[in-house]
Amino acid sequence: NMSEQKTNKEQRYDRQLRLWGDHGQEALENAHTCLLNASATGTEILKNLILPGIGAFTIVDGHKVTGEDVGNKAQAATEFLQELNSDVSGNFVEESPDKLLDNDPEFFHRFSLVIGVQLPESTCQRLGAVLWSAGVPFLVCRTYGLVGYMRLVVKEHTVVESHPDNALEDLRLDQPFTELRNHISSYHLDSMDKKDHSHTPWIIVIAKYLEKWYNEHNCQLPKNYKEKEVFRQLIRDGIRKNENGAPEEEENFDEAIKNVNTALNPTKISSTVDDIFNCVQCENITSQTSAFWMMARGVRDFVQNEGNGSLPVRGTIPDMIADSDKFINLQNVYREKALQDAAVVSKHIQSHLQAVGKVINTNKIQFLHCAAFLRVVRCRSLAEEYSTDTFQKDTITSCMDSPDSEMVLYLMLRSVDRFYQQHSRYPGVYNYQVEEDISKLKLCVNSLLQEHGLSVNVKDDYVHEYSLI
Amino acid sequence: MVQLVGPLSKELSDSVSSCKILVVGAGGIGCELLKNLVLTGFKNIEVIDLDTIDVSNLNRQFLFQKKHVGKSKAQVAKESVLRFCPSANITAYHDSIMNPDYNVEFFRSFQLVMNALDNRAARNHVNRMCLAADIPLIESGTAGYLGQVTVIKKGVTECYECQPKPTQKTFPGCTIRNTPSEPIHCIVWAKYLFNQLFGEEDADQEVSPDTADPEAAWNPEDTAARATASDQDGDIKRVSTKDWARSTGYDPVKLFNKLFKDDIMYLLTMDKLWKKRKAPVPLDWAEMLQLANPQDEGCGTGLKDQQVLNVGGYSRLFQHSVETLRSQLADKGDGAELVWDKDDPPAMDFVTAAANLRMHIFSMNMKSRFDVKSMAGNIIPAIATTNAVIAGLIVLEALKVLNSDIQQCRTIFLNKQPNPRKKLLVPCALDRPNPNCYVCASKPEVTVKLNVHKTIVQALQDKILKEKFGMVAPDVQIEDGKGTILISSEEGETEANNGKMLSDFGIRNGSRLQADDFLQDYTLLVNVLHSEELPKDVEFEVVGDAPDKAPPSKAPEEEKSITNGNKDSAQPSTSSKAVVEEDDLLIVDSDEEPSSSTADVSTETSSLKRKHQDAETGEAASKRKRLDQQSADDDDDIIALD
Repeated sequence: NMSEQKTNKEQRYDRQLRLWGDHGQEALENAHTCLLNASATGTEILKNLILPGIGAFTIVDGHKVTGEDVGNKAQAATEFLQELNSDVSGNFVEESPDKLLDNDPEFFHRFSLVIGVQLPESTCQRLGAVLWSAGVPFLVCRTYGLVGYMRLVVKEHTVVESHPDNALEDLRLDQPFTELRNHISSYHLDSMDKKDHSHTPWIIVIAKYLEKWYNEHNCQLPKNYKEKEVFRQLIRDGIRKNENGAPEEEENFDEAIKNVNTALNPTKISSTVDDIFNCVQCENITSQTSAFWMMARGVRDFVQNEGNGSLPVRGTIPDMIADSDKFINLQNVYREKALQDAAVVSKHIQSHLQAVGKVINTNKIQFLHCAAFLRVVRCRSLAEEYSTDTFQKDTITSCMDSPDSEMVLYLMLRSVDRFYQQHSRYPGVYNYQVEEDISKLKLCVNSLLQEHGLSVNVKDDYVHEYSLI
Repeated sequence: MVQLVGPLSKELSDSVSSCKILVVGAGGIGCELLKNLVLTGFKNIEVIDLDTIDVSNLNRQFLFQKKHVGKSKAQVAKESVLRFCPSANITAYHDSIMNPDYNVEFFRSFQLVMNALDNRAARNHVNRMCLAADIPLIESGTAGYLGQVTVIKKGVTECYECQPKPTQKTFPGCTIRNTPSEPIHCIVWAKYLFNQLFGEEDADQEVSPDTADPEAAWNPEDTAARATASDQDGDIKRVSTKDWARSTGYDPVKLFNKLFKDDIMYLLTMDKLWKKRKAPVPLDWAEMLQLANPQDEGCGTGLKDQQVLNVGGYSRLFQHSVETLRSQLADKGDGAELVWDKDDPPAMDFVTAAANLRMHIFSMNMKSRFDVKSMAGNIIPAIATTNAVIAGLIVLEALKVLNSDIQQCRTIFLNKQPNPRKKLLVPCALDRPNPNCYVCASKPEVTVKLNVHKTIVQALQDKILKEKFGMVAPDVQIEDGKGTILISSEEGETEANNGKMLSDFGIRNGSRLQADDFLQDYTLLVNVLHSEELPKDVEFEVVGDAPDKAPPSKAPEEEKSITNGNKDSAQPSTSSKAVVEEDDLLIVDSDEEPSSSTADVSTETSSLKRKHQDAETGEAASKRKRLDQQSADDDDDIIALD
């Protein structure tokens, strides 16, 4: 029963839905993640993805398990992890990551995310190259005693709902669209009765006083603090007075005064979104273009044509003091404009799709509400990080100068990888070899520094510490 | 060469496997912690939790599965841990840590205590028990993506109560009963209504029109006259809401008409209230039925919980939930009571419906069930990841304590995003104890401002000593040279005093009361400052306490810029400081919300945003110095939890 299932999920996931919302949950449930090596760290990561209900996971591990759970590690881990949440589909492949890379590199293309834990440097680099070109995000994880390391490698990660911390409302008071202008005109603050006056939404209050302001200020918005202060006073003077001349309590006017600062921000497109419009992916639409870029292009077309330089209207307004009818009417003005704009964007998208002969199902409305918050995240590739040509030598050198920098841990982990690559084991695994391992690890540190032309000093303490784990 | 066992020295590894530790709480942090402890090599663990497992725990409390719902958290946690670590020696208590059985002796039997709690009362209590027993305590909390761990050691560090914390926000009775202006007022009213109808009746939770509202009367004499009058006529101040409801057989239509029509019409007669406010509009049952949309019963697109029904839909929901609760009550037999629980669907439906109907009556925008639940249940979002990080840090701090390295211990904040110095985890040095702390100072003393002619002994016991000063079973003696016993924790000794005023016992300005809690091994000297000028609805004030006299804040300016004016950026934001010596402890309370029986909804819930895409703001964090300025200021991104 669908409805019952929905209720169960709502109950089970209630505490996280309040954090990332139903869109976040949907994204999680549509994701399929791959874990390479079912180590303690790897299974811990999966546990924290399975509990909140990731769609599916696949464990790749060629190791055998000894002891009670004798058998294959990938299978054993999958069975135990599966117990955590029956909504999640668990799969395993009993093979080493290297073998899989040899035989079927395309195997990895299907995932939303690949997590590699404790991979040898060579495997990491090979896999990194495969995933980079397939556009699959790769999370490299390593733990070593009490030190841990995590690095995300993704060529391009597009975000529709970035949930910015300081999002301003999109009210267009500086450039009201026709319907909004008409709606504002339907209010007559002076002739209203007292109750209506004190239940007029603050957006209307500001818009009304802005008209007055424009008459005296050559149609320029109040710009600096001083002008905004004067504008606030203008609103304050508009509060009704009682028979004794004292101002009445009008909370909607208080709200208007409080909101002057942000509500009068000129409507403009952020540089982040503008950069997205200027990306080559947005320019050259092909049959390979992803839904994100197709929609970004539709929005750009809107901005450059019907929008006259502005994004589609977001269509939401904040809660405010107002009676229900006034609030709903105002909300509808914004909402209907947003729907109209969305239809225009959609038309642009359709024409591009038609031109390249493609069909994409997109949630246009959702996208439009977020047009101002589009983000693209890009990382450096592992190849760039490891190549001696593109290695960020200067950054590393300057970090090593600062005493509390953790860069030395990075260099030590790279040296430990090198140790593993040479000796097929980590330093310090056998107590009797510790002294020997210290000098071997020191050689690795030195060769790493030398190869990369780094003239920095790694204290022996670190070498000792890392040989002891 | 040092001998190593894994990454630990032989010595430390030995103390790990031989020590005995207490884990208080087997919830979100507790589950992760127990796993980490046994995998680190801890062998002797006692775990206590009074709670049972709920479906909403399963997204993070991984030691529990669907088949365990309703069972003891401590017990199931123990069994699950033993499945993967059979050699561990775990004792589970399905009990409250505040039970007197867990006395100072009990606490002394551990080397270390770790809190994994979700409410301030228990945290205060364990703090005192650990101080009394002189056992180190690791305190922790999470909220959404945010978390904190700290170490408390008697005489060395601040204790949990060294800095005053805000009390829960309460609303004046007449706002709830007569003139709600925000949705939270209607939600609180609906929760009161649930208890008045189905649960434990509480005189402080009246829902009927308040005829003694000072604002409603034309002059003060009138107020008194009306109040007396209403005591006598059985019309509005009825025998009891519950008796009346029972006499109707919990008829949903009769209840509806009484609550949403007749009572509102009565409110309208208090015309002075509506001179400046928009007057409420009574609802008519028959009209509501016309409005109800049959499709609301099914499920549309998106999450059902997040839809806002029309007023007809909420009338229907009111009817259905009353019917369900009525039969639940009947099933429990005579004299039974229901306990409101946000995770109990009919109870939550009832509050959603009643609150929304009232919001509509008072011209507010109605809220979805999801949003009402957030506010009514004081819900703090929670995920496994944050709890796992915090539990990991608890173990690292525990290792330092066992290594006698308390100087290396830190308070650690987990941020949502890396701070400007690119740190997600921000360690801060521990503060020295506050010499004026009313808990851990050598002779704790406080000054309380109250009106001795208006404060009854019961209020001194319940609201001041228990609620404010966290005592569990106080004994109070007046320092009047005679040693008069005002309150005894022994049953039957001083109950006769409960209803009497403090002044009846000769208590006046300057009187000193000695309050003892035998269990907590804690004595507090209370100086009485008599005052006739306390604000309306304030029974007492602790002199020098928040919010008027916060301890001097050494907050650097940059922090303000990070946190100001936007509640979305609820960050602990110890951020840009190298080593933080300030008193800016983040108090993130709890993986979970306080017990649902807490009637007063605190401020922070009211600042939880309503729109779903903003649900992230539900996360909450605060620093003590900011907490002191706690207010219902919606613009403040710092949200206190408890």
